[in-house]
Amino acid sequence: MTQFSRRDFLNLAGVSLAGMLAPKQLHSLRTADSAQPNIIIILLDAFSAKHLSLYGYPRSTTPNIDAFAQYSTVFHQHYSAGNFTTTGTASMLTGMLPWKHRAINYGGLVRSELAHNNPYSLLGDDYFRFAFSQNPWPDRLMGQYYAEIDRFLPPSAYSLAQDTQLIEIFKNDRALASIAMEDFLLPAQESALPGSSLLGYLYKSRTLHNAAAKQTLAYSSNGIPEIMDPGYLIPYLNENVYDGVFAELSTLAAKNQPYFAYFHLYSPHYPYRAHNNYRKLFRADGYRPPEKPAHPFAGGFTEDFLLGQRALYDRQIAQVDDEFGKLISQLDRSGVLQNSYLIFTSDHGELFERGFVGHGFQFMYEPVLHIPLIIHAPQQISREDVFALTSNIDILPTILSLAGKEFVPDLDGEILPGFGGGGDEARPIFSMVAVDNTAFHPIQKAVISMRKRDHKLIAYLGYDQKMTQPFELYDLKNDPQELSNLALKQTGILTAMQDELFAYLNAANQPFIQK
Amino acid sequence: MKLLQLLLGRLPSKKSILGIYAVIVTVIYSWTLFTSFYKLPSWLFYLTVGKILSVYAYAFSLNLLESVLALAGILLLDLTLFFVWKNVGEFQSRSILLFLCIAASSVFRLASFGDYGAINFFLTAEGAWWLTTFLLGLIVSALAPKIHWVRLVLDGLAERLIIFLYIYIPLSFISLIIVFFRNIQ
Repeated sequence: MTQFSRRDFLNLAGVSLAGMLAPKQLHSLRTADSAQPNIIIILLDAFSAKHLSLYGYPRSTTPNIDAFAQYSTVFHQHYSAGNFTTTGTASMLTGMLPWKHRAINYGGLVRSELAHNNPYSLLGDDYFRFAFSQNPWPDRLMGQYYAEIDRFLPPSAYSLAQDTQLIEIFKNDRALASIAMEDFLLPAQESALPGSSLLGYLYKSRTLHNAAAKQTLAYSSNGIPEIMDPGYLIPYLNENVYDGVFAELSTLAAKNQPYFAYFHLYSPHYPYRAHNNYRKLFRADGYRPPEKPAHPFAGGFTEDFLLGQRALYDRQIAQVDDEFGKLISQLDRSGVLQNSYLIFTSDHGELFERGFVGHGFQFMYEPVLHIPLIIHAPQQISREDVFALTSNIDILPTILSLAGKEFVPDLDGEILPGFGGGGDEARPIFSMVAVDNTAFHPIQKAVISMRKRDHKLIAYLGYDQKMTQPFELYDLKNDPQELSNLALKQTGILTAMQDELFAYLNAANQPFIQK
Repeated sequence: MKLLQLLLGRLPSKKSILGIYAVIVTVIYSWTLFTSFYKLPSWLFYLTVGKILSVYAYAFSLNLLESVLALAGILLLDLTLFFVWKNVGEFQSRSILLFLCIAASSVFRLASFGDYGAINFFLTAEGAWWLTTFLLGLIVSALAPKIHWVRLVLDGLAERLIIFLYIYIPLSFISLIIVFFRNIQ
């Protein structure tokens, strides 16, 4: 595991000393000069805050992220509005809750009439706008406003599969072409039956040959390559990807224009294939999280299996942390961070408990919703901590505020505390999964999490047959592991939260109720 | 000159080529429609009717390309593999059988591959699979048309499937226009 180099240490010591000597500045506000700052989002897919040592995880998974946090603003209670990529990312990019933007199904899209609510359209031509997602689902979401993006790399960029992706031919209709071509006609996924009987075969055969060849090559030279979720057979190595990010940011920095850059990077998403040199990490370290009762929707994995998967995930995080550390050092040295906001976050977390591994489905527990958010402001030299409840729908309003743009009333999100926002204590934070609900009808079948103050309500709507207890209530201050369901004990709090949740939901459902 | 005459003498009639194309089109388009029914429930969850029709426009456009390529490939195979046999009367049924063998093989192989762990098997067995398909197709398409009723069935089938050309091909051209307009700035 790569630690800080001597140079990095000296850099950090330098900025820390400067931080002590300099008068404390409110660096989280916009920079003193009125020039628009660059805004960079680095999002790591499926990165649970619960697995970062920064947030108290017992394993030392993220020393480099911890170091980065020392001169950034750390949000301790930041939530994703969705528990899988489409909903989580769409919420962040639109600044709206899932019941409004309606990208709620696997691979789904934002409602056309609301798709203009995104950083690319709202930042406008003042900014050079860059997009890259290794995960094809956010790529599809951003394809809805392709024309607003100045540079849009395909998911295979920086991967070992250097060949041009078919989707590039249909770039002006990227979102729908992706559904038609990548999901239906010529899928490279493992098990999907192509809609094209002959060309589909040729495409799949070519993709598999390519992946196998590249995998072998990478294995011999670098250890196990990270291959994207078996669904998408694009083999890549994290070092290549992070080198690509640095190269891209260096190019953007050379432009005489402020830029907005969004990198949606795949690791540490399943299948958790860290390099060989991480294989002994966390092995037999004695760490055992508390056992939790099996969930009715879980696949019934044993505790040992969950522990094994958790260790693989933690190794992948450690590797990603090393790459991130190198990237930050490079950006620091090259001066990119001098005039840029760097937002480090995720789209959702990952769960290794209750007989389940992964994310999505009907699981709305803390490990899958609590995501990291660390923001480094230009020339920020000391750490700030924000303990207010925040949601990833707050990212877009905050970006617009940083760029000096007008507030958009359509948005559900608020400007983040420390960046101009207040941090209302009574604010409810919602997350939702509604993959079994059509995007065009009122939300009737969904699992919704509502976090308010210390309590968290999980409502299973429309799952009466499976869930004998459709509401769960947790006191996260006293029970952070969500072990004790208080739904039957604290009925007053339960009723109040239910009433509030249904009031919001009914209001959100109104436009979808047919007259 | 002699070679040209020989080639022209072995060229099939336009009607028989149309019959082969009808079978190809029916198989390719029907497969696409069949597999789309697996996708349709999820599309209905998040795509409007207009967008679903646009997905079908992409599908039919690709099907058109695929069918033309398949026809060209089958004609090329038939004209080279069976060059020494002059029996033009069997051309249509022979080509249909050859295409059906290849299409069935492709579909069966796609359908039987459903697991990431099977990648290596898929890749290593691929050569042997296609060699077997090729040889089997060769034998079946060379011998089966010799049986009178087989030839009659296949020729009759081709004739009846021509109706699908009148449906699918105009739809494909409309689809091409839709795809074109969706992709211009």
